[in-house]
Amino acid sequence: MTQYQVSAGEKKFIGWHLLTAILALAVGSLFGPLQAFEHAGWDFYPYIKPLIKSYYQGLTVHGVLNALVWTTFFIMGFLTFNVIFGLKRPLKNLTLNKVGFWMMVAGVVAAAIPILANEATVLFTFYPPLKANWAFYVGLTLVVVGSWVEGWGLFMTYFDWRKENPNERSPFIAFASILTSLLWQICTLGVAVEILTMLLPWSLGLLETVDPQLARTYFWFTGHPLVYFWLLPAYISWYAMLPKQAGNGKMFSDSLARLSFWIFLVLSTPLGFHHQYVDPGVPPAWKFIHSLLTFGVFFPSMMTAFTVVASLEHAGRKQGGKGALAWILKLNWKDPSVAAQLLAGLLFFFGGIGGLANASYNVNLVLHNTAFVPGHFHLTVATGVTLSFMGISYWLLPYLTGKQLWKPKLAVAQSWIWFIGMIIFSNSMHVLGLLGAPRRVPLGLAPYVPAEWNSRLFQVGLGGAILFVSGALYLTVMLMTALNKETVKEEVQVPIAEAMQDPALTPLWLDRWAPWIYGTLALIVIVYGPQLVEQIANIALTSPGFRVW
Amino acid sequence: MNTRQMHIDPYERNWMIFSAVMLVLFAAAVSVAAFGMGIEVPAPEQRVDPRTVATDPNSPWSNPGLREVSPGKYDAYILARAVPQWEFLPKELTIPAGSSVSFYVTSPDVQHGFKIQNTNANFMVIPGQVSKLTIRFDEPGTYDFICTEYCGSGHGIMYGTITVTP
Amino acid sequence: MAKKDKEDDEFRPTGTIAVLAIFVITLIAIWATIYMILVGRGGTL
Repeated sequence: MTQYQVSAGEKKFIGWHLLTAILALAVGSLFGPLQAFEHAGWDFYPYIKPLIKSYYQGLTVHGVLNALVWTTFFIMGFLTFNVIFGLKRPLKNLTLNKVGFWMMVAGVVAAAIPILANEATVLFTFYPPLKANWAFYVGLTLVVVGSWVEGWGLFMTYFDWRKENPNERSPFIAFASILTSLLWQICTLGVAVEILTMLLPWSLGLLETVDPQLARTYFWFTGHPLVYFWLLPAYISWYAMLPKQAGNGKMFSDSLARLSFWIFLVLSTPLGFHHQYVDPGVPPAWKFIHSLLTFGVFFPSMMTAFTVVASLEHAGRKQGGKGALAWILKLNWKDPSVAAQLLAGLLFFFGGIGGLANASYNVNLVLHNTAFVPGHFHLTVATGVTLSFMGISYWLLPYLTGKQLWKPKLAVAQSWIWFIGMIIFSNSMHVLGLLGAPRRVPLGLAPYVPAEWNSRLFQVGLGGAILFVSGALYLTVMLMTALNKETVKEEVQVPIAEAMQDPALTPLWLDRWAPWIYGTLALIVIVYGPQLVEQIANIALTSPGFRVW
Repeated sequence: MNTRQMHIDPYERNWMIFSAVMLVLFAAAVSVAAFGMGIEVPAPEQRVDPRTVATDPNSPWSNPGLREVSPGKYDAYILARAVPQWEFLPKELTIPAGSSVSFYVTSPDVQHGFKIQNTNANFMVIPGQVSKLTIRFDEPGTYDFICTEYCGSGHGIMYGTITVTP
Repeated sequence: MAKKDKEDDEFRPTGTIAVLAIFVITLIAIWATIYMILVGRGGTL
């Protein structure tokens, strides 16, 4: 069976996304272990002082490059691929998408300059009144707007497809990618308003003072759905690609996969107050309402857990797997793409548990801003998402370049090393958080650390060191693959797990956009509107900027 | 094209029902803790001008510290600041066991966090806002309170101590 | 389009139930532990 041929120009364009993403990961990941080492009391920052002035500058580089740049570039590239390949048609206007991409690149450069000059050591949450150089805010704006432009290019491509195929079910990977891109366009309005109405004019000197509480409300309007923007591309791969790779399995339920994506669209934005449970300026009643919606958005992740595991079980049974759990061993663990994503999914289970605890209203009093939080999101964005993206790149890069993957066994080892390093790192971070250790502190130097934390702090450093080895292996495999003289014997087959039930049988209401979009916007207006109106009406522009790093 | 009935596998349907029930029970549990046991998150208390809150003689934070409002009941006005140096004012509090203390914390500069170890006091400190929670200290001993939000280079050294005497 | 195989009709995701059972037991145990820490520390009003 011959597959749809993505044009050489489009492959190259997707490849540019991958390249930028991996470069960001390479630089950002250098600092990850340095943070971990600080906890263990191994202070390397004095040695790199000419380049990076402090732990916090390093932490800003790590957070911005890994959580924002690596993810966003990889995601836009992957979504673009999914739309083209899923719809079997070229982008409507490749030039428009290129404009978006280069805006994003320009944004990264603009933000990187002040970060590297120690003029934007505000971490990736950039809470005012910490005040960065204006170029930092311009850079973030360009990245966001560039990603919107790329998204518009994808929407236009989809509209054309729909016009020509009014009665077909949209192919799942294209549908889910368009939805992810749409979710991103809606939720980033928060941070766009924050930057354009407050932070940018303030950093340029046009505005003297800002309202830090309102800024947090804007920020978290974007901040939680951002998590789903990271996660949904990994889910797309887990639902619709991984079962095929793992043993020729089928997607267990096309309808429920779509339903869970719709619920993500509707529920992932109107619950941002669950990041602000302990903010003084938000009434508890609204926090509580957002907490209920947060419990609600956990539901489609539970559905995802079922459908994905069942699809994998289908693959395992096909390969002769028996028993309640032994079928897992029959999955294609030798394929680095499979190993990476299975291990990512396994740790993501625990990421989900920690996330649910964080988001459980007053339970947040135990966990807020403790080491539990970075422990949690290193299982989600830094493993569930990142390790999955690494796994995807193990077939995507050979597909795009026609080069043979360099040393697949090493790539399998890389995934396992990440898995082990992350277990050690993340488990100790969670425990430290429960013991009361704060996040964003080089704990090796903190004056209030009791002796009982020490063994855990050492494990954080150890986990960081193991993760560093894994990250270096990943970059080596990617680099050597790109330089590989050996080409693939035949074109890499894109793994697509067909649905067990013909998608044409999926009900029509799961393939209609308008009602879901109206519902999403209505819910946002209902559960965000009143507080936004009140906080904006009572805006207190009383905080001048500070540069305290 | 007709709208068709959605096909759901019976195992998956049961899983969805189970998931929904479990999430409802979790929501019920946090509601009991919040509305039955009074374990609540902070509510809007008061707004202040961060530019003057530490200096205006009418502001309690111009003279931060402990005030006994009635026997065994205290108000603690605490200033969290990064300028001129990273510190809580006051850095030390002493109260007898069994005391109930309402903490009123604000910042004249950047955002901070306030977490008293081994208690449920854990909240953001945001310039322009006053954060308040009330904690009862029954066990004698020392309780560190630490800054939990990045507030500049000295964030990691910012802490204070509550001593609860028998 | 996807063909419906006979063996697909007979496929019952029993292993999935086993995996997810382990997951939810862990989830409930961890969540309950943290919840009990919260409750043990008492009120905030």
